[in-house]
This record gives sequence, C-alpha cells and structure tokens, in this order.
Amino acid sequence: MRKLIIIPAYNEQGGIEKTVQDVQKHAPDFDFVVINDCSTDNTLEICRKNQFPVVNLPVNLGIGGGVQTGYVYAYRNDYDIAVQFDGDGQHNAVYLKDMAEKLTGEHLDMVIGSRYIKKEGFQSTGLRRIGIKYFTWLIRLVTGQKIMDPTSGMRMVNRDVIEFYAKNYPKDYPEPESVVTILKKGKKVREIPVQMNAREEGISSISPKKSVYYMIKVSLAILIAALRR
Amino acid sequence: MSLKIQIIVAVVLIVALVAIINMVRKEALDIRFALSWLTVGVIVLFLDVFPSVMDWLVHLFGIELPVNMMFFFGFCFTLFLVFGLTIKVSRQSEQLKRLTQEVALLEKSLEDVKNNE
Repeated sequence: MRKLIIIPAYNEQGGIEKTVQDVQKHAPDFDFVVINDCSTDNTLEICRKNQFPVVNLPVNLGIGGGVQTGYVYAYRNDYDIAVQFDGDGQHNAVYLKDMAEKLTGEHLDMVIGSRYIKKEGFQSTGLRRIGIKYFTWLIRLVTGQKIMDPTSGMRMVNRDVIEFYAKNYPKDYPEPESVVTILKKGKKVREIPVQMNAREEGISSISPKKSVYYMIKVSLAILIAALRR
Repeated sequence: MSLKIQIIVAVVLIVALVAIINMVRKEALDIRFALSWLTVGVIVLFLDVFPSVMDWLVHLFGIELPVNMMFFFGFCFTLFLVFGLTIKVSRQSEQLKRLTQEVALLEKSLEDVKNNE
C-alpha cells in the first residue's frame, strides 16, 4: 500500500521543517511531497537544504492548483492513498495512521480530519465557525450528508478520488466544493475526530475582505456541483 | 446626418481599420481576435457611407432615433465581445494551470532521475 502526504506550502519558511519532522516522526510509513506554490520567501531553499522531496511550481497557482498538482503526482506515481496536510503546523500527523485505517478498514473513499466531532483543540474563531456551520447545512441540503467540518484541509482519499481530483479540482477555496463533487458521485465520505492547532506561522488565505467573496463563491460552487451528475 | 460628420466618421474608421490590419501584419494582434473588430468597423463604415440603409433599419426595428440604434447595437456588440473574452480567459487560466503543473512535475522527475544515477 503506497501512501502519500501532500504538503501544500506557500511562504511557510517558519513552519515547513516542523511539519515535515512531525510527519516523519508520526507517519513513517507515508511518503511525502511538498508542493511549493511559488513562495516568495525561503520555503524552497529550506526544502532543498533538508532534501525534502519538493514539486516546485514556477507560477503561483493558489491552494487549489497546488493541491491538485499533488494529486496528479500521486496518480502518476501509483499511490493508493493520498492525504492533504497543511504546511503551517495546523495539522497533527499522529492522526494519519487512524485515518488510513478507517479509510481502508471501512472501504471509504474519503476520510476528513474533523475539529467538530469531539470539539477539542483549536476550534477556529466565532464568525468562521458560523460560516462552517452554514456550509454543513448547505451540503446536507444538497447531498443529504452531514459533514461537520467541510472546510478542513486534512483529508485522505483512495485511488479513485486521487484520479478524479487529478482531473477536476476547484481553483480557489476548494475544500467544501470538492467534498460535494465526490458525494454527488456516490463516494463514501466519513469524518474522524482530530485536534488542530492555531496557526503559528504564516497568515490565513482568507482575509476578512475576502470572506464575503469566499461565502458567495463557495455557496454558488456547491449549488452548481449539486446540479452536476 | 451632415456630410461633414459623415466624412469625419469615415476617416476615423478607415484609420482604425488600417491600424488593425497593420497590427495583424506585424503579428501584434491575432487575426482571430481582429476579425470581430474588422467586421464591426466595415459595417459601421457601410452605414456611414449609405445613411439611407440606417434609416431603413431604424424604421424596421421601430426605433425613434438613428443615434439610439447605434448606442444599442454598440452596447450589445461590446457585451458580446467582453463575454467572449471572459470565456477565453477562463480557458486560458485552465491551460496555464495545467502547463504550470506539468513543468513542476517534469522538473521533479528530472531530479529523481538525476538522484538515482
């Protein structure tokens, strides 16, 4: 069973080494690859210095295009399982083993690391949590399935979904939409409780100004994804 | 429409058409994108030279003033063109994304080959 950790990184010079150490320590049977999304800081140099495997995007694609590069890489290198894992220290690698066991044991297509099942660890801030609850409601409305943490960037998928995402993946704010597209394809998605950390390094890609655009764009994308067959 | 304004419009249009053709000749403008501009330039020039055709069209569409028809069709043409460009931008951003990914993945496999030697 070949398993790959996709670590998207944009200007993560402060957190990338820690993230990789966490992964190497707690998920030693996984391979990993850093997707450097044309960082303007020393992310690439740090990866090269430590000889981390890195796919270096020559042009900044944003989170969607970056993560998709990881899925294409996983598909072409015959990985059976791929998992997204943020490069900024928000995710904890201790859960990867459990996620993989759940995915294969229950024959699932996707396992999401969810902050809101046990409600432990960093829970995000007030307004964001309302936004996340709204997406849970909207996804339930269009698919009938309850996803407690649809914006979680910690998600593990099997080879079917790797192949699908290698071909189709949203460009920006991809998490909720990409869950809906595979639910609509009849894929099985389950969640597992995880604890996340507050961000130590780097800044969120969703600033207050962008959050209005985020809500509208993602809502529309979910509705359109629901119309697809 | 006075003869004076007719001549001014005709001169402006001819200069614009020549400029567009010249840009295509120098390959500064793709002929596929120049076509719609050339077409609309020729149509307006035709209406300018034969204003009676314009009067007939205005009557046909039931529009009061010829100038309103020009605004209306001009606006429609612009919308059409801008939307066409939006579609092209969407397609190109997808193509650009794919190319970027391929370049990055090729670089990675090149490194892997080097490291295995």
